[in-house]
Amino acid sequence: MMNIIIGQYVPGKSILHHMDPRSKLLAVFALIFIVFLANNWVTYGVIVILTLVAIVLSRVRLRFIYKGLKPILLVIIITFVLNAFFTKSGEAIFDYGWFHLTTGGLQQAAFISVRLLVIVIMTTLLTLTTTPIDITDGLENLLRPFKKLRFPVHEFALMMSIALRFIPTLMEETEKIMKAQTARGVEFSSGPLTQRIKAILPLLVPLFISAFKRAEDLAMAMEARGYRGDIGRTKLRLLKWGLKDSLLLLVVIVLIPVLVLLRG
Amino acid sequence: MKLRVLIVNGILAALYVAVTAVIAPFGFTNIQFRVSEMFNHLVVFNKKYIYGIVIGVFIANLLLSPMVGYDLVFGVGQSVISLLITILATKFIKGIWLRMIFNTIVFTFMMCLIAAELHLALNLPFLITWLTAAIGEFVVMAIGAPIIYMINKRLNFEKVV
Repeated sequence: MMNIIIGQYVPGKSILHHMDPRSKLLAVFALIFIVFLANNWVTYGVIVILTLVAIVLSRVRLRFIYKGLKPILLVIIITFVLNAFFTKSGEAIFDYGWFHLTTGGLQQAAFISVRLLVIVIMTTLLTLTTTPIDITDGLENLLRPFKKLRFPVHEFALMMSIALRFIPTLMEETEKIMKAQTARGVEFSSGPLTQRIKAILPLLVPLFISAFKRAEDLAMAMEARGYRGDIGRTKLRLLKWGLKDSLLLLVVIVLIPVLVLLRG
Repeated sequence: MKLRVLIVNGILAALYVAVTAVIAPFGFTNIQFRVSEMFNHLVVFNKKYIYGIVIGVFIANLLLSPMVGYDLVFGVGQSVISLLITILATKFIKGIWLRMIFNTIVFTFMMCLIAAELHLALNLPFLITWLTAAIGEFVVMAIGAPIIYMINKRLNFEKVV
């Protein structure tokens, strides 16, 4: 079960790897919404080309991108079928009771599948080329203006860093406890549903106890080292905004009027 | 925010992600079966757990969900809104069981946000999607209530943070 990779980061030296996490975060979040502007072959074409360029620039092996897409293939197929058979527009190709296959339906299904694919690829590229810690740093920095509204930005970033640090530890712990309980005859993945539900309790109790004990230890360690919040705190990794980051944002901004002009 | 609250919530978030990843790697798309969703009941004991749960949802969606972008906005949104409703309501609802039942209903109902997400992104039919998503959430939260209640007997969640 340990083959579940947490965070899909693949180390590399591509231009996307070297970009500032802030520009990547902004671009991806903007693109998720910008993709909705596309509504005909030309606009979808522009977006697909951009996605392909991003894949080439990331220099990530296609195998990794395919791995990110695999869990969602079924969703894409279901979406395609639902949209193809339940949209009525254009010429009819096939008509039987509830099912209508029309040219318009096929086109709609193709568009929505492409939209989903593009979004998944874009966000996969973000997590493939940015470490979770960089994402946290980037988010903390981007959310800084909210500090004025008394939103605890630094505290949130710290909680995220603590969480990221302890995820692998606690995953290992979860598996260890599962194995220990399996050895005692508890069934986690087979047997009747009621039994499997009961099996969760002897798993979660020791898990919570050990997690809270770790929290206790960490609190003591941090207090002993004099942690005082973000006042006067320096960083090991500094974010650097470069020309390529500005260029990326420029491309995203220019994309909006281009799509608006080209859409049908 | 006190250091203890910060750390306990950080670790709780990690626990949410770990449980999401290890116990149920089938919790995404429109049939949601995330065992870790039962952690939502923790706010019933102490409202300070909201940070850990929300961050847990955020990281789980960031690292594990194939629909990252949408899930970050709608999934986290659903958790934040539902948790806030429950926290506000706990002022008026006395008794852990009543609060847990209320919390289960709120989360089940708020799955409409997830259904809206899937409707917007994938053009899936809204009502059917809401129904399937809500069933999954309801089952996990309903089963989770007695489980979290029993764990609370051992750990006393109210006092931990």
